[in-house]
Amino acid sequence: MTMLLRAASAVSAVSVGDSPVTDAATPLDAWLNGAALVLILIGALLCLTAAIGLLRFRDVPTRLHAATKPQVLGLILICLAIALSLRSWPVVAFLVPVVLIQLATAPLSAHMVGRQAYRNGTLEEQSLFVDELAESRQTPPAAGG
Amino acid sequence: MSALLLVIYVVFGVAALLTLWRIVVGPSILDRAVASDVLLTEVLCVLGAEMVINQHTRTLPVLLIIAAVGVFGTISIARFVARRDNVDR
Repeated sequence: MTMLLRAASAVSAVSVGDSPVTDAATPLDAWLNGAALVLILIGALLCLTAAIGLLRFRDVPTRLHAATKPQVLGLILICLAIALSLRSWPVVAFLVPVVLIQLATAPLSAHMVGRQAYRNGTLEEQSLFVDELAESRQTPPAAGG
Repeated sequence: MSALLLVIYVVFGVAALLTLWRIVVGPSILDRAVASDVLLTEVLCVLGAEMVINQHTRTLPVLLIIAAVGVFGTISIARFVARRDNVDR
Protein backbone atom coordinates (compact mmCIF):
# COMPACT_ATOMS: atom_id res chain seq x y z
CA MET A 1 0.00 0.00 0.00
CA THR A 2 2.72 2.42 0.89
CA MET A 3 4.48 1.55 -2.32
CA LEU A 4 1.30 2.32 -4.24
CA LEU A 5 0.95 5.63 -2.47
CA ARG A 6 4.55 6.44 -3.13
CA ALA A 7 4.11 5.61 -6.80
CA ALA A 8 0.97 7.72 -6.98
CA SER A 9 2.68 10.67 -5.38
CA ALA A 10 5.58 10.27 -7.76
CA VAL A 11 3.20 10.24 -10.73
CA SER A 12 1.40 13.34 -9.48
CA ALA A 13 4.68 15.10 -8.92
CA VAL A 14 5.67 14.25 -12.48
CA SER A 15 2.33 15.23 -13.96
CA VAL A 16 2.41 18.63 -12.29
CA GLY A 17 5.68 19.16 -14.10
CA ASP A 18 8.67 19.28 -11.82
CA SER A 19 10.36 22.01 -13.75
CA PRO A 20 13.87 22.83 -12.71
CA VAL A 21 14.07 26.18 -11.06
CA THR A 22 15.68 28.18 -13.81
CA ASP A 23 17.34 31.13 -12.19
CA ALA A 24 19.97 31.22 -14.91
CA ALA A 25 22.54 29.25 -12.93
CA THR A 26 24.64 28.33 -15.92
CA PRO A 27 25.26 30.14 -19.22
CA LEU A 28 23.25 27.46 -21.00
CA ASP A 29 20.23 28.24 -18.83
CA ALA A 30 20.52 31.95 -19.52
CA TRP A 31 20.90 31.31 -23.23
CA LEU A 32 17.85 29.04 -23.32
CA ASN A 33 15.72 31.55 -21.40
CA GLY A 34 16.77 34.31 -23.77
CA ALA A 35 15.91 32.13 -26.76
CA ALA A 36 12.49 31.40 -25.25
CA LEU A 37 11.84 35.13 -24.82
CA VAL A 38 12.85 35.80 -28.42
CA LEU A 39 10.51 33.04 -29.62
CA ILE A 40 7.69 34.59 -27.56
CA LEU A 41 8.45 37.96 -29.14
CA ILE A 42 8.18 36.42 -32.63
CA GLY A 43 4.85 34.82 -31.68
CA ALA A 44 3.57 38.15 -30.37
CA LEU A 45 4.65 39.84 -33.61
CA LEU A 46 2.71 37.19 -35.56
CA CYS A 47 -0.37 38.02 -33.46
CA LEU A 48 0.20 41.70 -34.26
CA THR A 49 0.47 41.02 -37.99
CA ALA A 50 -2.78 39.06 -37.84
CA ALA A 51 -4.50 41.97 -36.11
CA ILE A 52 -3.15 44.49 -38.61
CA GLY A 53 -4.25 42.23 -41.47
CA LEU A 54 -7.71 41.97 -39.92
CA LEU A 55 -7.93 45.75 -39.87
CA ARG A 56 -6.53 46.50 -43.30
CA PHE A 57 -7.83 43.77 -45.60
CA ARG A 58 -11.14 44.24 -47.36
CA ASP A 59 -13.28 41.11 -47.26
CA VAL A 60 -13.65 37.89 -45.32
CA PRO A 61 -11.30 35.53 -47.27
CA THR A 62 -8.39 37.97 -47.21
CA ARG A 63 -8.93 38.58 -43.49
CA LEU A 64 -9.01 34.83 -43.04
CA HIS A 65 -5.68 34.62 -44.81
CA ALA A 66 -4.17 37.03 -42.32
CA ALA A 67 -5.92 35.44 -39.35
CA THR A 68 -4.64 31.90 -39.77
CA LYS A 69 -0.98 32.85 -39.46
CA PRO A 70 -0.64 33.01 -35.65
CA GLN A 71 -3.05 30.12 -35.20
CA VAL A 72 -0.45 27.59 -36.27
CA LEU A 73 2.98 29.18 -36.52
CA GLY A 74 2.58 31.53 -33.56
CA LEU A 75 1.29 28.77 -31.33
CA ILE A 76 4.10 26.43 -32.40
CA LEU A 77 6.66 29.13 -31.55
CA ILE A 78 5.06 29.80 -28.16
CA CYS A 79 4.95 26.08 -27.34
CA LEU A 80 8.58 25.76 -28.38
CA ALA A 81 9.37 28.63 -26.03
CA ILE A 82 7.54 26.90 -23.17
CA ALA A 83 9.46 23.66 -23.81
CA LEU A 84 12.78 25.51 -23.98
CA SER A 85 12.11 27.47 -20.83
CA LEU A 86 10.65 24.78 -18.56
CA ARG A 87 12.77 21.88 -19.86
CA SER A 88 10.80 18.89 -18.60
CA TRP A 89 9.31 15.98 -20.52
CA PRO A 90 5.80 16.09 -18.96
CA VAL A 91 5.43 19.65 -20.20
CA VAL A 92 6.44 18.52 -23.69
CA ALA A 93 3.88 15.72 -23.43
CA PHE A 94 1.26 18.39 -22.70
CA LEU A 95 2.39 20.67 -25.51
CA VAL A 96 2.46 18.10 -28.32
CA PRO A 97 -1.34 17.45 -28.19
CA VAL A 98 -1.99 21.20 -28.04
CA VAL A 99 -0.05 21.75 -31.28
CA LEU A 100 -1.55 18.68 -32.96
CA ILE A 101 -5.11 19.68 -32.03
CA GLN A 102 -4.51 23.19 -33.29
CA LEU A 103 -3.04 21.85 -36.54
CA ALA A 104 -6.12 19.67 -37.01
CA THR A 105 -8.77 22.23 -36.14
CA ALA A 106 -7.48 25.55 -37.54
CA PRO A 107 -8.06 24.48 -41.19
CA LEU A 108 -11.50 23.18 -40.21
CA SER A 109 -12.79 26.49 -38.92
CA ALA A 110 -11.06 28.42 -41.72
CA HIS A 111 -12.68 26.17 -44.32
CA MET A 112 -16.15 26.58 -42.81
CA VAL A 113 -15.85 30.36 -42.58
CA GLY A 114 -14.45 30.66 -46.11
CA ARG A 115 -17.23 28.53 -47.57
CA GLN A 116 -19.87 30.56 -45.80
CA ALA A 117 -18.24 33.78 -46.98
CA TYR A 118 -18.47 32.55 -50.57
CA ARG A 119 -22.09 31.50 -50.21
CA ASN A 120 -23.12 34.68 -48.43
CA GLY A 121 -21.52 36.84 -51.07
CA THR A 122 -19.40 38.68 -48.52
CA LEU A 123 -16.39 38.66 -50.83
CA GLU A 124 -15.55 40.98 -53.66
CA GLU A 125 -16.53 39.23 -56.87
CA GLN A 126 -14.33 41.31 -59.14
CA SER A 127 -11.23 40.39 -57.15
CA LEU A 128 -11.58 36.73 -58.13
CA PHE A 129 -9.52 35.61 -61.10
CA VAL A 130 -10.90 32.07 -61.21
CA ASP A 131 -14.32 31.15 -59.83
CA GLU A 132 -14.64 27.40 -59.99
CA LEU A 133 -17.56 27.34 -57.55
CA ALA A 134 -19.81 29.52 -59.69
CA GLU A 135 -21.90 26.66 -61.02
CA SER A 136 -22.38 25.10 -57.60
CA ARG A 137 -24.34 28.18 -56.61
CA GLN A 138 -27.19 27.21 -58.89
CA THR A 139 -27.62 23.84 -57.19
CA PRO A 140 -30.42 23.68 -54.64
CA PRO A 141 -29.46 23.86 -50.96
CA ALA A 142 -30.45 20.24 -50.35
CA ALA A 143 -28.04 18.96 -52.98
CA GLY A 144 -25.31 18.61 -50.38
CA GLY A 145 -22.76 20.58 -48.47
CA MET B 1 15.83 41.60 -20.42
CA SER B 2 13.07 43.75 -18.96
CA ALA B 3 13.01 45.89 -22.11
CA LEU B 4 12.30 42.72 -24.10
CA LEU B 5 9.49 41.86 -21.68
CA LEU B 6 8.05 45.36 -22.09
CA VAL B 7 8.13 45.02 -25.88
CA ILE B 8 6.33 41.66 -25.63
CA TYR B 9 3.63 43.13 -23.40
CA VAL B 10 3.08 46.11 -25.70
CA VAL B 11 2.91 43.94 -28.84
CA PHE B 12 0.39 41.57 -27.27
CA GLY B 13 -1.72 44.45 -26.00
CA VAL B 14 -1.77 46.32 -29.31
CA ALA B 15 -2.67 43.13 -31.18
CA ALA B 16 -5.53 42.41 -28.78
CA LEU B 17 -6.87 45.96 -29.09
CA LEU B 18 -6.78 45.89 -32.91
CA THR B 19 -8.55 42.52 -32.97
CA LEU B 20 -11.15 43.84 -30.54
CA TRP B 21 -11.69 46.83 -32.82
CA ARG B 22 -12.39 44.48 -35.72
CA ILE B 23 -14.89 42.57 -33.58
CA VAL B 24 -16.66 45.85 -32.74
CA VAL B 25 -16.83 47.36 -36.22
CA GLY B 26 -16.75 44.20 -38.38
CA PRO B 27 -19.32 44.65 -41.14
CA SER B 28 -20.47 41.02 -41.30
CA ILE B 29 -20.83 38.34 -38.66
CA LEU B 30 -18.15 36.25 -40.41
CA ASP B 31 -15.64 39.06 -39.88
CA ARG B 32 -16.48 38.97 -36.19
CA ALA B 33 -16.11 35.19 -36.14
CA VAL B 34 -12.65 35.37 -37.72
CA ALA B 35 -11.59 38.15 -35.36
CA SER B 36 -12.83 36.29 -32.29
CA ASP B 37 -10.91 33.23 -33.45
CA VAL B 38 -7.77 35.36 -33.64
CA LEU B 39 -8.49 36.74 -30.17
CA LEU B 40 -8.83 33.20 -28.79
CA THR B 41 -5.50 32.22 -30.36
CA GLU B 42 -3.97 35.29 -28.80
CA VAL B 43 -5.32 34.24 -25.41
CA LEU B 44 -3.53 30.92 -25.96
CA CYS B 45 -0.30 32.71 -26.83
CA VAL B 46 -0.57 35.05 -23.83
CA LEU B 47 -1.15 32.13 -21.45
CA GLY B 48 1.92 30.36 -22.84
CA ALA B 49 4.03 33.51 -22.62
CA GLU B 50 2.93 34.08 -19.04
CA MET B 51 3.95 30.52 -18.19
CA VAL B 52 7.40 31.10 -19.64
CA ILE B 53 7.88 34.46 -17.95
CA ASN B 54 6.71 33.37 -14.51
CA GLN B 55 8.17 29.82 -14.75
CA HIS B 56 5.15 27.75 -13.75
CA THR B 57 3.02 25.05 -15.38
CA ARG B 58 -0.39 25.67 -13.86
CA THR B 59 -2.14 26.85 -17.02
CA LEU B 60 -1.06 23.95 -19.26
CA PRO B 61 -4.46 22.16 -18.96
CA VAL B 62 -6.20 25.45 -19.81
CA LEU B 63 -4.05 25.62 -22.93
CA LEU B 64 -5.10 22.10 -23.92
CA ILE B 65 -8.81 22.71 -23.31
CA ILE B 66 -8.88 26.02 -25.20
CA ALA B 67 -7.08 24.44 -28.16
CA ALA B 68 -9.57 21.58 -28.20
CA VAL B 69 -12.82 23.51 -27.69
CA GLY B 70 -12.11 26.80 -29.44
CA VAL B 71 -13.06 25.54 -32.88
CA PHE B 72 -16.69 24.90 -32.07
CA GLY B 73 -17.55 28.56 -31.73
CA THR B 74 -16.40 29.43 -35.23
CA ILE B 75 -17.96 26.32 -36.78
CA SER B 76 -21.31 26.92 -35.11
CA ILE B 77 -21.32 30.56 -36.22
CA ALA B 78 -20.63 29.43 -39.79
CA ARG B 79 -23.49 26.92 -39.67
CA PHE B 80 -25.86 29.48 -38.16
CA VAL B 81 -25.09 31.95 -40.94
CA ALA B 82 -25.80 29.21 -43.49
CA ARG B 83 -29.26 28.59 -42.06
CA ARG B 84 -30.08 32.28 -42.00
CA ASP B 85 -28.96 32.57 -45.60
CA ASN B 86 -31.19 29.70 -46.79
CA VAL B 87 -34.20 31.18 -44.99
CA ASP B 88 -33.59 34.54 -46.62
CA ARG B 89 -33.60 32.92 -50.02
